[in-house]
Amino acid sequence: MNYLLHILTMINIYVILVLSLNLLVGYVGLLSLSHAAFYGIGAYISTLLIMKLGLGFLPALLLAVVGTVLLSYTISLPSLRLRGDYFVLASLGFQIIVFTILYNWIDLTRGPYGIPGIPRPIFFGIEINSIGSYFLFSGVIAAICTGLLYLIGNSPFGRVLKAIREDEIAAAALGKNIVRLKINAFAIAAGFAAAPGALFAGYLRYIDPTSFTVMESVFILSIIIIGGAGNISGPIVGTVLMIFLPEVLRFIGLPDAVAANMRQIIYGLLIILIMRYRPQGLSGEYRFE
Amino acid sequence: MSILELENVTKAFDGVLAVDKLSLGFDEAKITALIGPNGAGKTTIFNLICGLIRPDSGAISYRTKNITGLAPWHVAQQGIGRLFQDVRLFERLTVNDNILAAFKNQTGENAFLSVVVPWKVVREERSFLERALQLLEFVGLADKANDLAENLSYGQQKLLSIARLLALDADVLLIDEPTAGVNPTMVASLLEFIRRLAKEGKTIVVIEHNMNVVVEIADWVCFMNQGQVESFGLPNEVLGDPEVRAAYIGL
Amino acid sequence: MLLQLLANGIISGCSYAIVALGFAFIYNTTRTFHFAHGGVYTLSVYLFYTLYNLWALPLIVAIVITVAVTAFVGILIDKIIYIPLVKRGSSLFIQMLSSLGLYIVLINFVAMIYGNETKVLSPGIQPTYSFGSLILTQIQLATAIAFVVLFIGVIVVLKKTRLGKTIRAMRDDPQLVSVLGINPRRVRRVVFALGSALAACAAVLSGLDIGTDPNVGMAAILNGAVAVIIGGVGIFEGAALGAFLLGILQSLAIWQASARWQEMITFLILILFLLFRPQGILGVRHRIEEVSV
Repeated sequence: MNYLLHILTMINIYVILVLSLNLLVGYVGLLSLSHAAFYGIGAYISTLLIMKLGLGFLPALLLAVVGTVLLSYTISLPSLRLRGDYFVLASLGFQIIVFTILYNWIDLTRGPYGIPGIPRPIFFGIEINSIGSYFLFSGVIAAICTGLLYLIGNSPFGRVLKAIREDEIAAAALGKNIVRLKINAFAIAAGFAAAPGALFAGYLRYIDPTSFTVMESVFILSIIIIGGAGNISGPIVGTVLMIFLPEVLRFIGLPDAVAANMRQIIYGLLIILIMRYRPQGLSGEYRFE
Repeated sequence: MSILELENVTKAFDGVLAVDKLSLGFDEAKITALIGPNGAGKTTIFNLICGLIRPDSGAISYRTKNITGLAPWHVAQQGIGRLFQDVRLFERLTVNDNILAAFKNQTGENAFLSVVVPWKVVREERSFLERALQLLEFVGLADKANDLAENLSYGQQKLLSIARLLALDADVLLIDEPTAGVNPTMVASLLEFIRRLAKEGKTIVVIEHNMNVVVEIADWVCFMNQGQVESFGLPNEVLGDPEVRAAYIGL
Repeated sequence: MLLQLLANGIISGCSYAIVALGFAFIYNTTRTFHFAHGGVYTLSVYLFYTLYNLWALPLIVAIVITVAVTAFVGILIDKIIYIPLVKRGSSLFIQMLSSLGLYIVLINFVAMIYGNETKVLSPGIQPTYSFGSLILTQIQLATAIAFVVLFIGVIVVLKKTRLGKTIRAMRDDPQLVSVLGINPRRVRRVVFALGSALAACAAVLSGLDIGTDPNVGMAAILNGAVAVIIGGVGIFEGAALGAFLLGILQSLAIWQASARWQEMITFLILILFLLFRPQGILGVRHRIEEVSV
């Protein structure tokens, strides 16, 4: 039972990550390989605020969101005017820069040693101390984020993002400030990635930089590719499938050393196959062309 | 009087002059046709006005305001709309969404407000939907409202792009080859639209290769060659000019 | 000290430049952002490790087989992954994602077979040569020589042969190439073979120098791609120049800070270029790129 609750909690965390990246991939049509960086920034900011300044979980989470949004401008401002493949490379660069900082700024982040002993969230005087209650707690936050992202996606803002995805020049000729809209979409996606960062830190009560690597960014992106983009259901289907998949592999009885690589190979193959045979993913609306 | 003016505008691509010290004005509520051989610089002029490319020198002004070098979205918000030759629809959006995306001043285009005051956005959206339906009825696509734009025929796509342009509610419409690729029965109604728009006070600039169309709708005709205005005047004057005939029309 | 750092920077620049030239062959011609180039790089160094270290084949034989097989792998990747997508008219976006997928498959395939730990390819102390106060290892010298030879080879192929002219024309207008009566598929085969072979050369040299682990491909493709972009896309000399700039600046950064910040330098340079000179060192703005929203 605890095992199942653990998986469901991870799904709650990843759903927010994936849905926020969906705003970029499925709506604006931007491939970003920096989502794990924002996830990590959120985790570290909230953890440091809780541990160094003694803030509560929710205020720390909200400040982490604000901080992550501000940091998102350092990459979106220089790179969002550029062609698609340049942007991908720039976002990858940002991911690597953030990882390097988390890993090497030992005075602040303790680098590879990680930060242990993160206190459990306390909510109206109740400590979220069992795995069941953490599942509920993360579920509530995931539901709120999903609701907000749904509202944003279906608003005129979401519509104009899709218009940009389809034809930037036509959208500009209709008076839409493309660069500003893209930068805003990027900031929103980054801000929503910070929340699961805080949830993840509060759940494991330990963070180190290896949870926020390039491969993690690739993993988040591959969930969208496989599940599908441009709506709410694609990313959710993708998340559930991709979080359960390694557990299924474990049941098959692959040795642990091979299992991690095997899992990655399956992700890679799935991306290739989906791109070839089903570019809208399993349940997406936006069909990559 | 001229509402939109180009003054001494020059633009070169990789050293080749596409537009050469060109000065040209467009009259309010009139239809001006740009004609000339391929490569004369007609579409480049549209791109320059729209801000998609910047002139190397010279100035572009709209209602006496200098708009040279403004970003395309900014130019559009001033009231200059563009119909692209290759329609450029938002293909994987519905017909309805294509129109809705074009309206100006949408509260809900601000993500923050769309979450904070959703009721206001919903109310606004209702009135936009009504206007979108009117526009779709105007071009005869009301029954296709929920189809994806990519599934329309080319003629229908052209009509949709016109409806989308109208949703922008611009005062100046730059129309690039409206009749190209449209079947003849539809051409008549298309021209009828354009004339009606001019009567309603829109300033229209149209690039057109079909001389019959030019004669039928244009108030002014501008014949361009090699990035310069060779001849400007009433349709009969310009099209009757033996030089123009010799150089281009071959009538 | 400074001289030594400069020399080290130039030597890593040579290695980056070989990868960058390979990437440029493919990127400049097909416009595909060939992420899997990094996977090919990893694959080739492990192939070499198998031939040279495990099977104890003579060095030259191992190198020749590695380069030849890698070239063939490049062609195969194009045939299996990209050509079907190109035929369907898929965007570069899809090709890039597929390439990323393939990269993941290749890297993990290697890791599954050989493990994640670092492999040493040339045990023992390498012979060194000193030039005044400058000390270079044998492999470093070999890298520099290999770069010079390969660079001259690439430029000769591009500038002097009919094939080279076709390759340069193809970026601007793929249709034109078929009009000229040249099979664009053949051109693709050639660029994927040459590009992958170059990656193999760099991979073997760097493997012999500092050893290898499955993730070396990531650093290689990133340095290579960044070199191509900061040098100027479409210009092969630019790719080499960009690679040297990267190598030298990284080397100086190690002097000022520490090796752990090296990757950060790469991307700070990239971002500075994207901000202030997106067309790269030798690049010119093309008319199509002038249309800006």
